[in-house]
Amino acid sequence: MDLNFTPEEQAFRAEIRAWVAANLPKDISHKVHNALHLTREDMQRWAKILGKQGWHGWAWPKQFGGPGWNVIQRHLFEEECALAGAPRVVPFGPVMVAPVIMAFGSPEQQARHLPGIMSGEVWWSQGYSEPGSGSDLASLKCKAERRGDYYIVNGQKTWTTLGQYGDWIFCLVRTSSDGKPQTGISFLLIDMKSPGITVRPIIMLDGSPEVNEVWFDNVEVPADNLVGEENKGWTYAKHLLAHERTNIADVNRAKRELERVKRIAKAEGVYEDTRFRDEIAKLEVDIVALEMMVLRVLSAEKSGKAALDVAGLLKIRGSEIQQRYSELMMLAAGPYAVPFVREAMEAGWQGDQVGAAHCAPLAATYFNYRKTTIYGGSNEVQRNIVSATVLGS
Amino acid sequence: MDFDFSDDQESLRDAVRRWVDKGFSFERRHGIAKSGGRTREVYAELAELGLTGLAVPESHGGMGFGPIEAMVVCEELGRGLVSAPYAQGALVAPVLLSAAPADVQSAWLPKIADASALVVLAHQERAARYRLNHVTTKATKAGSGWALTGAKSVVPAGDEADAFVVPARTAGADGDAQGIALFIVPKGAAGLAVRGYPTQDGARAAELTLKDTPATLIASDALPVLEHAVDAGIAAVCAEAVGVMDKLVAVTAEYMNTRKQFGVAISSFQALRHRIADVKMQLELGRSMSYYASLKMGEPAAARRRALAQAKYQLCNSVRYVGQQCIQLHGGIGVTDEYIGSHYFKRLTMLEMAFGDSLHQLGEVSARMQDTAGVFA
Repeated sequence: MDLNFTPEEQAFRAEIRAWVAANLPKDISHKVHNALHLTREDMQRWAKILGKQGWHGWAWPKQFGGPGWNVIQRHLFEEECALAGAPRVVPFGPVMVAPVIMAFGSPEQQARHLPGIMSGEVWWSQGYSEPGSGSDLASLKCKAERRGDYYIVNGQKTWTTLGQYGDWIFCLVRTSSDGKPQTGISFLLIDMKSPGITVRPIIMLDGSPEVNEVWFDNVEVPADNLVGEENKGWTYAKHLLAHERTNIADVNRAKRELERVKRIAKAEGVYEDTRFRDEIAKLEVDIVALEMMVLRVLSAEKSGKAALDVAGLLKIRGSEIQQRYSELMMLAAGPYAVPFVREAMEAGWQGDQVGAAHCAPLAATYFNYRKTTIYGGSNEVQRNIVSATVLGS
Repeated sequence: MDFDFSDDQESLRDAVRRWVDKGFSFERRHGIAKSGGRTREVYAELAELGLTGLAVPESHGGMGFGPIEAMVVCEELGRGLVSAPYAQGALVAPVLLSAAPADVQSAWLPKIADASALVVLAHQERAARYRLNHVTTKATKAGSGWALTGAKSVVPAGDEADAFVVPARTAGADGDAQGIALFIVPKGAAGLAVRGYPTQDGARAAELTLKDTPATLIASDALPVLEHAVDAGIAAVCAEAVGVMDKLVAVTAEYMNTRKQFGVAISSFQALRHRIADVKMQLELGRSMSYYASLKMGEPAAARRRALAQAKYQLCNSVRYVGQQCIQLHGGIGVTDEYIGSHYFKRLTMLEMAFGDSLHQLGEVSARMQDTAGVFA
């Protein structure tokens, strides 16, 4: 047992830190550190900087053009990026669809799609949820009918995060209604410029158009865009979920945000207030405990000894912590959480602030973060999964 | 960064587990509790396994092992719900004695190692709660030695111990960090009165009064030593708690799978399934922070103190939640004395009180907070 990273791992961390310091644009990290609005251009600029270095797909093996890092190196890379104030990499391309294409896609699909994902040129979206299929994803209805060399897709996807920017979308579609719902699902890659696709942003409770509805009206998709075999899509989707693991805890970002909680609490004069300070102290312990849990998972993966079945716990705890730090920041702002001045959430706004500038986005973030216990498998679904690990069924 | 146990550590775990399986049944624990909570016999059996010498240096007849081995042993003792003052006698006392002059170490450490002497820390005072700098017991020079006057409270295994390590004030006022010295006082010393009583979890503790009691100096201005020893105690308590919780959760899961109501196993009810998921969460957070506690024992004092306070805060919350909810999940049987579940619960509850409860630890964490955060902050 040893808590410390090896000298090699520490050297690796130093290398990443230096690279991020030299390459992460200051205007972008300023926005991230202050929760100001990130544009599509900001996100894609950082994706392309990473892509040029071959790190946009930082978890990829060498064989597909990735750096071939082990789990510890990946963790250190994620941590250094998060602490430096890099935007979260939009996961749909490099983290979600790429591993599926690597594992189950044809060589042609791999050659066609992986380079554009790595370079950050092609923006991918996720087409999973439907209006009637949330937690019960396998009940999905969006239909793909084979007609010659094409699938004809009809139906609707929803909650498609940043789908308004998407070039491509990977979808779970129904190709059969025989047998169990899970067995009639296929995994399809769809060009979002295809005729018949309509994207309509949904305005969220914080005023942001973060997610979308995507409509498919007789969309022709070349049959070559089917990943793997027809009706095996559910298996591939589960493979994708297995790739989230420690990522979903997002503990590195939580550490950065806890530092921000403390900065804001000091500026607003509540850091020395025992009642408030103790709440920060509780959150601090929560974050250390979550980080230890993440490190335990990484250690188990590295040594390959005892696998830890705690992915559900990481999702639940990570999301609760995200909600809690957003809540504490809002409470620190107190009455200055009330104004809703949209322009004040833009970098470089010169208008009259109400209260300190750091207060402007706090309530919006708090509202927005209610999503964290809902998406990625709601925390209640996660509790079902965790309970099965304890009860054996 | 590596959380695997070495082969030697796994062997140590197996050895303790084998002894527990063979030699320490629930009936034995129940019998000890019912007959007053005396555990020296159990302690002697742990000595036969070599466990009481675990933290004593080899030069004094011990094994000279570190905090990870101590954690492994404590987890197993917790899993077996073993009644014995192991953390006190075998893990805390050696840290206290490590600050003593060579002759005092030679006089006591070999006896601690072979359990011929049970030495326990007697530090709690009436109004001090868990604050280590609140010491009113007075130490005055008496010829070439020292004499102590004062009172110490809730001393674990107090009327079974052979000697006490007693913090007393040589200078300064109650609450000062300076002027606290550590002394060793054998049982039967002049002016020492020991009044023993049973504890909630089936063991024993005692009230000590000292009136001009002769004492041997271990170290003066020794608050840092006392803090270090208490941190060793915290790490041990955290590990024991993990062992107890592991077992209690397993017992509870088994019960949920066998107990039937409305014609089905109660483990099929989602309200209960979600509860056991939350219990699992607290168990794993607790295990993570128990590792953290033991892994941080070798750090410089400030970092060690901060980490141990964080760990104990988590474990306090974990033991309370896991204990309470596992009782609830059992229904009526959970609140009976005949069922083992209630004994796990009571032990967990007493572990919160050992070396500082959740509110005390939260205060420590809060006072020691820095701008940065996380495991490596």
